[in-house]
Amino acid sequence: MTALLEIDGLSVGFTRDGDTTQVVRDLSMRVAQGARVAVIGESGSGKTVTMKTILGTLPPNGRVLGGAIRFAGQDLLTLSARDRNRLKGTDISIIHQDPLAAFNPVFRIGTQLDDVLRFADARLDAPTSAADRHERITKILRQVQLQDPARVLRSYPFELSGGMRQRVLIGMALLHRPKLLIADEPGTALDVTTQDEILRLLDDLVAAENLTLLLVTHNLAVVRQNADYVYVMQHGRLMEHGTVRQVFDAPQSDYTRQLIAAIPPLYGAGVTAQVARGDTPLIKLADAAKHFAAPRSWFAKAPPPVMAVRDVSLVINRGDCFGIAGESGSGKTTVARMIMGLLPATAGSVEIGGRDISALRRDPAFRRRIQMVYQNPASSLNPKRTVAQMLAVPLAFAGDADHAKRIAELLAQVELPSDYASRYPHELSGGQKQRVAIARALAVRPEILVLDEPTSALDVSVQKTIVDLLLGLRERLDLTYVFISHDLSLMRNFCNRIAVMWRGMLAEQGPTDAVFDRPTHPYTRALIAAVPVLTAEEAARKPQITLAERRAVLASTIE
Amino acid sequence: MGSYLLRRAAGFAFVLFGLAVVIFVIARIVPGDPARIALGPLATSEQVVQLRTEMGLDRPALVQFGTYIAGVAHGEFGKSLLTNRLVSRDLAEALPATLELVLLTLLLIATVAMPLGMLAARRHNSAVDNISRLVSLLGVVTPGFVVAILLQLLAAETGRFLPITGRLSPDLPFTADLTHLLVIDALLRGRFDVAWDALLHLILPALALSAAGIGQIMRITRSAMLDIARREHVDTLRSFGVPGHVIALKYMLRLASVAPLTILGLEFASLIGNAFVVELVFSWPGIASYGVRAILSKDFNAVMGVVLVSGLFFVVANLLIDMLIGLLDPRLRRGRA
Repeated sequence: MTALLEIDGLSVGFTRDGDTTQVVRDLSMRVAQGARVAVIGESGSGKTVTMKTILGTLPPNGRVLGGAIRFAGQDLLTLSARDRNRLKGTDISIIHQDPLAAFNPVFRIGTQLDDVLRFADARLDAPTSAADRHERITKILRQVQLQDPARVLRSYPFELSGGMRQRVLIGMALLHRPKLLIADEPGTALDVTTQDEILRLLDDLVAAENLTLLLVTHNLAVVRQNADYVYVMQHGRLMEHGTVRQVFDAPQSDYTRQLIAAIPPLYGAGVTAQVARGDTPLIKLADAAKHFAAPRSWFAKAPPPVMAVRDVSLVINRGDCFGIAGESGSGKTTVARMIMGLLPATAGSVEIGGRDISALRRDPAFRRRIQMVYQNPASSLNPKRTVAQMLAVPLAFAGDADHAKRIAELLAQVELPSDYASRYPHELSGGQKQRVAIARALAVRPEILVLDEPTSALDVSVQKTIVDLLLGLRERLDLTYVFISHDLSLMRNFCNRIAVMWRGMLAEQGPTDAVFDRPTHPYTRALIAAVPVLTAEEAARKPQITLAERRAVLASTIE
Repeated sequence: MGSYLLRRAAGFAFVLFGLAVVIFVIARIVPGDPARIALGPLATSEQVVQLRTEMGLDRPALVQFGTYIAGVAHGEFGKSLLTNRLVSRDLAEALPATLELVLLTLLLIATVAMPLGMLAARRHNSAVDNISRLVSLLGVVTPGFVVAILLQLLAAETGRFLPITGRLSPDLPFTADLTHLLVIDALLRGRFDVAWDALLHLILPALALSAAGIGQIMRITRSAMLDIARREHVDTLRSFGVPGHVIALKYMLRLASVAPLTILGLEFASLIGNAFVVELVFSWPGIASYGVRAILSKDFNAVMGVVLVSGLFFVVANLLIDMLIGLLDPRLRRGRA
């Protein structure tokens, strides 16, 4: 097959204050006509910069330092700006990653789509009428399975769901039936069931239109499902490339091997099953519910309250690693905040060690028993304080006299060198920041840690080191974890019990193995089935459920 | 949108009522007897008592307040001690002059500050950007009366091309009786000489009044544009080859104008405050210079009238700006701020 896109020895750098940092080094790759090619890498791998160089949207301080990009026979880097522009949105199109951020919030979807199409037509010297464009846009929206194109076009971005916005973004990229379709982390920002729908749609469209796909992602499982050939990048360099089967089954580079090993398996021999460490109840929720009053208007009847959580009953034993799984809006974070005593329950009770959680407010000794680690260490650490200063705050409450000694001890517990005490957050990597956040939570010697997606902001290889650290700490410090996550593969290997939440209710709970091997609730089955997996064995062991069945479950109403 | 505006309007009515209460209380606790001041040191105490009765100052404070509020509701503020005419009549005469000045000031701010801010953002860190930032900083930190006097001196030194006092040259008899705005009425009546003369008179006071606002709005526009330029949706349009000027002037501008407009509404308060000094410096016959005279002679009816009208100005301006922002940003319209 002829190559549609050929990159030859490409190097790209960013200039700042006269210094150039090279972020892509001597990269060569080839995308054949009609192929589905993936570029995979973690943050800082240079995959996004490569994509922007192909598109011609590098920021002003980005420079191509060498090499060539040939697209359909012409060298993109030597083309005039005008000719280069002509390709954008017509021959080369991109599906952007974040379906909310990718749209201007104050213009209707229809306006934005029309402008994209209108200027693309104008560049091709084929100006079109508004009516003609409207017809073409409507047709594309039908193609990406949006039922009511007229309503979508009338809507502002915030009025559509994440899945709908992602479909519009795909439609936007297909308006001119591009020769090369670049997909930047498609569906990553969405819930797993929606992501699966989007990936299937993308695959169907690529097959039906015989498109050439360049998939840029950090998710190996997505690569397995949606690509045939894969390039692995790290620190701006190409580590290896080959067909998906070659690379996944017999990786050549150490980096690829590490990357694959870091992915927690959903089923099979690789699963590390966690076991209960006792059966003394520690946290008890009995019919706990949380309602939020809906915003009311002066002129209308008060709307019914939003039932964020209803009738949740569960028992977490001492030493458990208890997972609460769910998609966005399922109520899992609300439950975590109720356990933390940050939100009082509207009905029912929340108890820790037999005492009602409301006593937390009055009793500092009780308060200390439970601490939280937040999702994003970049925003949960104060950028203007050193590690030592941040740790000193909880230590002052804990009543430890010798702060320096205790800080050294805490840093040792999270496996950071003791001289990190004088560092500021910006001098730490993402994983190191999360270690500091964990150390801060441990400072008051708690029994319980509530972990709110503690690894979801991190790269997969870093995620593994944090998970290993947490598992070790649980053993050594006799901790109990409440682990909130949407990542089922991770929970499978980290939790000994899990609860699945759906629409504010508990769909199912039980020992992790039982829930994954014999899910009983239709939603649990649908959720597990949608998780992208690495191997054929895992795919075969997932609950087998058809797309139609899944949609029926997700669309079903309660009561 | 309708209920949103209704809510805002109700809030503003409440603000105005509060203002009336505050100004009334202040007028009662300021030392000095208005009747005594009005009559001068030579008047007998019988005359003072008589005037106090006429003015209603001998009645209980609550009754005075009730009478006052009832009057205000009819647009009546009582009689001015200074001019011996109804305050409402004085205000009606002075208001158009101030309105004309403020409108030109706002026009200057909008047409100078926002484009300059956009240009500075587009040429981020260039000479244009640095110079305009310096100038805007100067505008923000220099008090309005300093700017006013400097401009006046400058105009006087450079051959008096621009008039430095008043609203119209004395040798041009003209009565603005349509909109009461001189420039506009003169144009409507076909008196282009008058319109030109009135416009020349407006330039210096309007420049002095707009200096701070221009600086402020320019800075806000610049930082809003820079912030929005980093957003992903700008990247999206760029990657689809939508031309840069369309992205900047259509897509970015609409988002970027929300912040400067909000600030402009708040700036309106300092604009009115500045007008008190600027009108005095340029002998501008507006409500601000009327207010200054009223304050100096403890003419409380007039002071309260000026304060309430200024408050009304502020409130209406902010209501208009809220409407405009609501039009610009659908998320606010649907109450999802």
